[in-house]
Amino acid sequence: MLGTFKDVETAARAVDGLIEAGFPEETITSLTSAPFPDGVIVKTDQRTWFRWMSVGGGMFGACAGFLLAAGTAYLYPVQTGDKPIIAYFPAGIITYELTMLFAILGAIGGMFLEMKLPPRKGRPYDPAVADGYIGISVSVPAGDLRNRAESIMKEAGALRTTSEEML
Amino acid sequence: MSEHAIAEKSAGRLNDEMLSSLRPPTWRWYGLAFFLGAVVAWGLAAFTYQVMTDLSVTGLDRPVMWGIYIANFVFWVGLSHSGTMVSAILRLSQANWRRPILRAAEAMTVFSITVAGLFPVIHLGRNWVVYYFLPYPNQRGLWPNFRSALLWDATAITTYIIGSSLFLYLGMLPDLALVRDRTTGWKKKIFDVLAMGWRGTAREWVVFRQASILMAALIIPVAVSVHSIVAWDFAVTVVPGWHSTIFPPYFVIGAITSGVAAVITLMVIIRRVFHLEEYLTPLHFDNMGKLLLVICLLWAYAYFVEVQTTWYAHQPIEWEVFSFMSGKYTPLLILMLIGNAILPITALCFKKIRRSVKAMLVITILVNVGMFIERYLIIVPSLSHKNMPFIWGTYSPSWVELSVTAAAFAGFTLMYVLFAKFFPMVAVTDVRELGIRHADISLGRAKVHSISEEE
Amino acid sequence: MEKMTSPYKWGMVIDLDRCTGCGACVVACQAENNVAICEKKEIAEGRNMHWLRIERFWVGEYPEVRVRFLPVLCQHCHDAPCEPVCPVYASYHNPDGLNGQVYNRCVGTRYCGNNCPYAVRVFNFHDHEHAWPSPLENQLSPDITIRSRGVMEKCSFCIQRIRRAKEEAKAEGRMVKDGEVQPACVQTCPPEALVFGNMSDPQSRVARLSRSPRSFRLLEHLGTHPSINYLKGGGREHV
Repeated sequence: MLGTFKDVETAARAVDGLIEAGFPEETITSLTSAPFPDGVIVKTDQRTWFRWMSVGGGMFGACAGFLLAAGTAYLYPVQTGDKPIIAYFPAGIITYELTMLFAILGAIGGMFLEMKLPPRKGRPYDPAVADGYIGISVSVPAGDLRNRAESIMKEAGALRTTSEEML
Repeated sequence: MSEHAIAEKSAGRLNDEMLSSLRPPTWRWYGLAFFLGAVVAWGLAAFTYQVMTDLSVTGLDRPVMWGIYIANFVFWVGLSHSGTMVSAILRLSQANWRRPILRAAEAMTVFSITVAGLFPVIHLGRNWVVYYFLPYPNQRGLWPNFRSALLWDATAITTYIIGSSLFLYLGMLPDLALVRDRTTGWKKKIFDVLAMGWRGTAREWVVFRQASILMAALIIPVAVSVHSIVAWDFAVTVVPGWHSTIFPPYFVIGAITSGVAAVITLMVIIRRVFHLEEYLTPLHFDNMGKLLLVICLLWAYAYFVEVQTTWYAHQPIEWEVFSFMSGKYTPLLILMLIGNAILPITALCFKKIRRSVKAMLVITILVNVGMFIERYLIIVPSLSHKNMPFIWGTYSPSWVELSVTAAAFAGFTLMYVLFAKFFPMVAVTDVRELGIRHADISLGRAKVHSISEEE
Repeated sequence: MEKMTSPYKWGMVIDLDRCTGCGACVVACQAENNVAICEKKEIAEGRNMHWLRIERFWVGEYPEVRVRFLPVLCQHCHDAPCEPVCPVYASYHNPDGLNGQVYNRCVGTRYCGNNCPYAVRVFNFHDHEHAWPSPLENQLSPDITIRSRGVMEKCSFCIQRIRRAKEEAKAEGRMVKDGEVQPACVQTCPPEALVFGNMSDPQSRVARLSRSPRSFRLLEHLGTHPSINYLKGGGREHV
């Protein structure tokens, strides 16, 4: 159930109304095109876990880099200058670069995983959000509860409500 | 103050203004794109001629085996530090005035590192076997030589291209969703895919913000390492004038100088072309000017240190290289010192100059001219006068090399022009966030404007 | 890694007191190694293909003018600056102590050419496939390739001759004898200023000459450990 509101105040009123009516705050979320400080519209959990994907990526990259620079040199040795076959500085540099590359890939991948994007099935959305309107979405099964949520939102001043999946 | 202006306008109007570059192209745009495309095509033709004939069409000889192609390579890698440094540092320091600048800077990084990555392929004697650089198992049992600084280059530039493209994409994600909601037709399909179903839920914003900070923190070490590695291409050799431990920090400083100046140049241009006068105000130029002043001071310091140690120890071949350079290339040397050090350091001390958009344009273009000359003066004179005097030689670029150089500049500009037409050039949601956090508070007898911050 | 060692360590001695600067070695090298014949224009542009050059220095004022000659060829350094910088292992160190150049691996980055302090590496800027006007192509050696454009080349101590000598010696079950293998320049030099042999064998002529008090090396301060010892100072210092 998604309601579209013109500004922060009406949206906040709707959220208050929903919470008073007993809807748990975890099921309510806001849809905005610019981020609002936490708590202005809804309170969200600020902890995230995607950084561990980045750490994991970094560790994989370190192994990959070391195997690439030192491992291939050891397996197929060719003498150049007085340099050792497994040379520390070059191996270190390649290890470092690949660590950073996979840490970055892990960060982005982890971010998308945590956001659960791209969505496999549609999710409620209103394109008016792009022009500054604020959407308040409540996850609630069809039936009485949904109608209740709809009426609370209309009371608070929603421009329109929809329960279709648009995105 | 611009925050007032942002807070007072409606979101729809803000979107319209900041996305004005996405309107259908005018004949002027087509004309510019066509002209740039023609220069790129000419450079491509010159390069094809070089590949079909041989490298004798360049000005290279023994002993100067690296010339303007490598100067281009180093210059473009340096320029690619613009976006990352500016964007990442400003993000991490939470400076509010960064918001309109970020996108332009990040896009500049991606395009300049792409152009830079082409030059190692362009300057090869046998370009068609460039795949020998790739590490893959083969029947010859030969892997590329990771002891060579050129392989570190290849790894670092790959990492940086991927990293900075992802950084640009990440920053653009909410804006792509914005554009998706405002377009129709085939464009909407593309933005649908690119926006990955972004809705702007509170949780998405939380993850997004933390991801931006993490990416900024990850990309800065990569940027520093990339230019250090390019510096090591020179510093790990035994060529006099190149074998100096100051090269990596010196190159990184030079890259930041070049990058910051280029971002300012770009700010001036897009401000004018896309009518963003209210978003890129003299305040932004003032702050960027201060940043440029600091970094030019650092550059001047690094250059002074390098010359001073060469002069004092007066090792014969080291001093010979420097005096040859200052003797043969005196006008270029003077232009470089004026452009990189004398002019910025003196002029940027004055607030009036920093706030003047025209002055900043002139100063920053001269900085980049100076930086290009600096790359050239590092590479060519050292190679001209190496250790055995009988084999000293000279070099001057041929028309093929100059055509390819011109095509590189045109190609970069063309990529930028195309990008600006299809993607939001200003970080729209970032700027609107400023409007949201802005409030006028009555304090005492006056209304003070404040901006709320995350803790 | 037993492949990395070898009983041979090829070295050369060049006696500058004997060198007359005649240039026969340069011609011999060109003939033996299919070195391209360059046009005047190429030489003027600094793109000559000489693997071995005689550096000429004038000393003194007229009328007491003297000339000094210094034949410079690839020094086959034991810590060669050109080897680690090649990204594709086209330049590598041979177990025999030679610096090898693999033409079909060379991609043409020219990093090795820049890093050689002696500037003995030569790059094929021009396409030299037709550098031998008829009937000169008949003198091309079949033991060695003609390098394509975009490839780096340099003196190899006539590795084709070394190879042949090693194969013959192996077939007969013995080591290569001192003086059996001679690169083209060594073979041709009229006053025998150039001497080549196995430095590992302390009794070989080249090893004994390298122990002379007259010996020095080029650019020794760079720590490249060249395989070529030059001899100078046999009482003719006024030259």
